[in-house]
Amino acid sequence: MKFDTVMIHFGELSTKGANRKLFIQQLLHNVRVAIKRYGLLTKADRDHIYVYLGEEDPTPILERLREVSGIQRLSLVAKTGKDIGEIGAAALSLIEKEAGSTFKIETKRADKKYELDSYGISRAVATHVLKNSSKPLSVDLHHPDILLKVNLREEACYLSCKEYPGLGGYPLGMNGKVTMLLSGGIDSPVAAYALLRRGIKVECLHFASPPYTSEAVIDKLTRILRQLNDYQSDIRLDIVPFTKLQEAIYQNVPEPYCITIMRRMMVRIAVGIAKKRHSLALATGESIGQVASQTLESIDVINEVTNFPILRPLCTEDKVTIIDTAKRIGTYDISIEPYEDCCTIFKPKAPKTKPHLDECQEYETRFDYASMVEEAVEGTTPIFVSEGEVVEPSKSK
Amino acid sequence: MTMVYLDYAATCPPSPAVLSEFKRLSEVSFGNASSKHAVGRDASRLLEKARLGILSSFGLNPSSYQCVFLSGATESNNLAIKGVSFSYKNRGKKIITTAVEHPSVKNAFEQLKNEFGFQLIVLPVNEAGSVEPSSLEAVMDNEVILVSIMAVNNETGALNDIGALADIVHRYPKAFFHCDVTQGIGKVKVPYSKIDLFSFSAHKVGGLKGNGALVMKKTIRLVSLLSGGDQELGLRGGTVDVAGAYCMHLALKESMEKFAEHKEHASMLKEHLLQGLSKIDEVVVNSPLDGSPYVVNFSLRKHKASVIVEGLSEAGFYVSSISACNSKGEPISYVLLAMNRSKEDASNSIRVSPGPEATIEDIDAFLAAMNKLLLEVRPR
Repeated sequence: MKFDTVMIHFGELSTKGANRKLFIQQLLHNVRVAIKRYGLLTKADRDHIYVYLGEEDPTPILERLREVSGIQRLSLVAKTGKDIGEIGAAALSLIEKEAGSTFKIETKRADKKYELDSYGISRAVATHVLKNSSKPLSVDLHHPDILLKVNLREEACYLSCKEYPGLGGYPLGMNGKVTMLLSGGIDSPVAAYALLRRGIKVECLHFASPPYTSEAVIDKLTRILRQLNDYQSDIRLDIVPFTKLQEAIYQNVPEPYCITIMRRMMVRIAVGIAKKRHSLALATGESIGQVASQTLESIDVINEVTNFPILRPLCTEDKVTIIDTAKRIGTYDISIEPYEDCCTIFKPKAPKTKPHLDECQEYETRFDYASMVEEAVEGTTPIFVSEGEVVEPSKSK
Repeated sequence: MTMVYLDYAATCPPSPAVLSEFKRLSEVSFGNASSKHAVGRDASRLLEKARLGILSSFGLNPSSYQCVFLSGATESNNLAIKGVSFSYKNRGKKIITTAVEHPSVKNAFEQLKNEFGFQLIVLPVNEAGSVEPSSLEAVMDNEVILVSIMAVNNETGALNDIGALADIVHRYPKAFFHCDVTQGIGKVKVPYSKIDLFSFSAHKVGGLKGNGALVMKKTIRLVSLLSGGDQELGLRGGTVDVAGAYCMHLALKESMEKFAEHKEHASMLKEHLLQGLSKIDEVVVNSPLDGSPYVVNFSLRKHKASVIVEGLSEAGFYVSSISACNSKGEPISYVLLAMNRSKEDASNSIRVSPGPEATIEDIDAFLAAMNKLLLEVRPR
């Protein structure tokens, strides 16, 4: 007897009614994609997804599944028949292989027609183990070394000793797609991760201002996105040519307002691209108060250019927490590589922290930004970052 | 789009003759030079031919010098510096280098100081970027076991008087003189026979990346850095890249044969470039006039050098800006700082290093492209 099946427990799916089936189907699809290379059999029922391991080592598979959103918990289980003697024998065999001298049996009985109740099953199994064990074992109900869970279902009985937390959230793809503004800094990849965990697919946008920003930034971004490929296997990154507009801003707008106007332009361009790509919202890595353009006053003035939704998954996060997450998902070390991005070049000495809308509107009449916004939307080139490879269309220069 | 590659000090394309020879040799002499059979012996003979060829290019007698094949100048500098220091540590603990060496020298010395307790003396340079022999003289004593001074500075092309410096070191019998000649081989005159050990790589003279060598007097004992088989006199384990080593010999030979012709061409280009640069207000030239003809380094006073380099790259002109960063993560040249330049100049320098195929027209086109960018790009 050995643990040869991974049992996937759903997360917030349990709150869903009619959509439940769709959610499970999507999750099953995502699980299959995630562990495709192992060629394992998978099966879903109303409450769980099962992955049959055969002879495969469970460790890398569990690790991979922990990166799939929509999974609350994973347990490594062994399947037995429902006869109480059979359950006892299986439990004995499994417990003897585990390290430790005290144990506890915990039973969940989904099959309500079974002749014993949960307590009865636990007691019968424990009695069998105690009587037949070849090593000295005792029961400890409070701090057992080994906790064996018995999950008695209608079709079979599942035994498990080990459980792992999943990523939580919803299955990727269930909650639509958003356009994420990616600068290359620490915050935006963490924001993208937060969306992915929630089951929201992302497409990314980057504003490039060559020659003020280096072509190397784009290589940096693809490396960041490759880290996120763990959660979404294909990510599209659109590179927006921003130099002309950015230069125009700095020619026509007083320095303290440059950042605010720049962000307003970025939002206009991003909305144009998001609509073309059928995204349902924009998303940014903004955290309230972090920098001048991220005060509530600034956000208000910047947001004024559109009624398209803008998600800010990190809006209340502390920088320290954001950095911790960035380190955990492996984007931090890449993010801190010193390349200038469109937000750091021409940085004004004293940016406006409480910009006024009427002033913004006045400055924007000074130059014909609409055609430049249009040009930027049209001039965008996509890069595709997929697990293991980057596909870049040949540049038309 | 035009493509004008003016970054030969970083690396250059392999010479076509060398490249086709590499392919041929990789096919016909693929053997492991340590193998005892005919295929191995064939490779081993080719390797010896390369060794002798390289020594002969430098005018050195194979009975008193040896050539160790390595992965490049970085490994060669490390092996020479650490190899000598570890091997002769009982003679004395003082080691000397300069403030403007390549990172593979600078950081090797710093490691010896910080982690192995050697006493490190870093010589200053004058405003032209060269070491004054008197400053070496002032710090030499019988405790010194190693002096390492580069022949040609990689950022500015500043030259050192290797003959005079070596003479000073040789007055102290316990000390060895090492020289990083990477930017000098085939380009400037170096008195190779006065140097105890010198390092270089193949790819700066038309050879292939991944090949380099350390040439040294046979009397010197080194501690090896990589433990392995007894290849390369026991100094460098690992199956030797015979074809690469042979091609390094060919590339070096070619560059030595064309020494005078190339140098004249480079001097002409340098003069033309300097003339063009002198017409640009914000440019200050950092390279000394009497430095290597192959390198011109200048700083921009109004624009950010990295932005102009990026813009030039977009326009098809490939030159260098400083890549190393200071503690704050801002790129700044320690070489220019050591030459007493301001922080602004040291973080806004551009290096132009044309190759033998570059023409006057290329230099003109480069100057025009840069002038255009200086007008269009917002100042810093």
